[in-house]
Amino acid sequence: MRTTFMSLFYKSPFVNLNRHADKVRECARVFHKAVKCHLDKQCEMFDDLTDQVAVLESEADAIKRNIRGHLPKGVLMPVDKFQFFMYLREQDKVVDAVEEALYWLAYRPQGLEDEVGEDTLFLVGKVIPAIEALSPLVEKASEFFKSRSEALRNEIKSVIRDIRQAEHEADHLERELIHKVFSTVKDPLTVFHLIRLVETIGSIADHAQNASDMMRAMIAE
Amino acid sequence: MLELFSAGMEYYILGFATLVGFYMAANIGANDLANAMGTSVGSGALTMNQAVVVSMVANMIGAVMAGGHVTNTIRKGMIDPSLLAGSPEKLLLGMFAALLAAGIWVQLATHFGLPVSTTHSIVGAVVGFGIMAVGFGAVSWGTVIAIVLSWVISPVAGGIIGGGVYLFIRRKIQTSETPYEKTQRYAPWLLTVVFTVLILSVIFKGLKNLHLNLGFGTALIIAVPFAIAAGYAGKVLLSRLGGEGCRWIRGDEEEKVECVFLYLQIITACYVAFAHGANDVANAIGPLAAIFAVVKTQTVSMQVEVPAWMLAAGGAAVGGGLLAFGSRVMQTIGKKITEITPVRGFSAEFGAATTILICSRFGLPVSTTHVLVGSVVGVGFMRGMGVLDLRVIRNILYSWFITLPFTLLLSMVIYKLLVILFA
Repeated sequence: MRTTFMSLFYKSPFVNLNRHADKVRECARVFHKAVKCHLDKQCEMFDDLTDQVAVLESEADAIKRNIRGHLPKGVLMPVDKFQFFMYLREQDKVVDAVEEALYWLAYRPQGLEDEVGEDTLFLVGKVIPAIEALSPLVEKASEFFKSRSEALRNEIKSVIRDIRQAEHEADHLERELIHKVFSTVKDPLTVFHLIRLVETIGSIADHAQNASDMMRAMIAE
Repeated sequence: MLELFSAGMEYYILGFATLVGFYMAANIGANDLANAMGTSVGSGALTMNQAVVVSMVANMIGAVMAGGHVTNTIRKGMIDPSLLAGSPEKLLLGMFAALLAAGIWVQLATHFGLPVSTTHSIVGAVVGFGIMAVGFGAVSWGTVIAIVLSWVISPVAGGIIGGGVYLFIRRKIQTSETPYEKTQRYAPWLLTVVFTVLILSVIFKGLKNLHLNLGFGTALIIAVPFAIAAGYAGKVLLSRLGGEGCRWIRGDEEEKVECVFLYLQIITACYVAFAHGANDVANAIGPLAAIFAVVKTQTVSMQVEVPAWMLAAGGAAVGGGLLAFGSRVMQTIGKKITEITPVRGFSAEFGAATTILICSRFGLPVSTTHVLVGSVVGVGFMRGMGVLDLRVIRNILYSWFITLPFTLLLSMVIYKLLVILFA
């Protein structure tokens, strides 16, 4: 039996947003492994890991579609629906960028040049914390929208600051790496490939930061 | 043709009327009361069994103490009873038809999942029989319009009060740096307000039979000291229950706040069940009392004393309905609605019960479910509830437009059939 009162309550999209964030975190873990594997040149698991990311990306996409498809007009949320969708879009773009970065790596099966290989891995290392912070961010936010606790709000702001810091450092590394590519690599095709790769890796942190900025807007009093 | 007032018929009529009245009461319990207690079950303030016991007891107390010992012969003065003075059988059959029509409609609506109100059903049914028995002139259209307006106003009022209370709690307690300390400061005051409204409603409605006729000022002078005492008791309890290593109020700051509101919500749950008893039990018992009075006196009196036993029996029937059919509803609510926290539930229940008691004070029959929906939406508009499907409001609007004409027409048809059979 379904009553008027029951019909009033709609399934919270934060449950699925959390699942989406978990997929993003899982992607980050696999991405890091995949990049290491590619730089190792001996590793044979790169294709498998890329496939794993592709699967995770498609699962995250399905969750995203499910969220979008189940928030019709006339649904009142504790946050602005537009901001919520913007957040979701940015969080999803993180996975898309991870997948794209792996594709760019895959375009050069022979591996990256030695002079930029380590730096690329270092850049990935800076990007990963920004991705991984999204899952606890969503978890804390869904708790915050229930309790409206100032302490939780401060914790969320702290996570957002961490993401911003990670993005800032990644941005800095990205610029340095591009500079290095131009100064050390002479082959134009390789330069083009490396620039696109570095930019794509950098964009992962950009999207994570965009998502966190949207979260900041959502928790604003 | 059957003789309505013969000795043998009397028992049949009373027996059947009691059955129909209690059927209506059980329907009210299964729907309205189950919904009313849903917020408490959803937040975990009460378990299913506790909710059933609490609501049955508080609902019955509400019905007996504030359920209208004196009610107009024809519910809420919608029809002028003097026009039926010479023909008590019309009133008898009419009330019968009204009860039956409202019961059938509520049953049908429940089956099809329509958000109808038992209160609105009985209002429509009584108006229908009035038109059929006497004519359009018999209906006090001014009263009917006032009642219909109250249906719109009451959910809005519930929303404003519920939303306002939530906003107050959020601003003063939840977003402060020391939420538990602020809870200790403000919760006793919230308790005082709850008890003020509760005591006022008992004074105004429950003590009417003592013919005290107290003015609002006098009633307030009586109510406030008791309410302050209740608030003070709450303050003492809070200081005793919230100490270090206490097993009652524990956890981190936020958990402690929710824990305090969990206890407060148990009080507002009783408050809602009490308000429900005061307001809704009369939907089934009012017409039943009128039938009893006509059969016993064979006259149409302007007012009918509703015996306390009948109100208690009505309250018990509502509780029985809740026990038999409402527990499933509550169980589903408890499982599905995880978004209701004690703070949210307290705010919504406070808004709903206060609105119902105020409307009840002015003699306006309002729907418990609709007011509760209004107050939950009010909290939602303050960004305080999870995700709410406002399309329910559209369905409620539809139900307003459908219920009145449907029960009105059904009551007319049943009344005509009864007249053909008995008159």
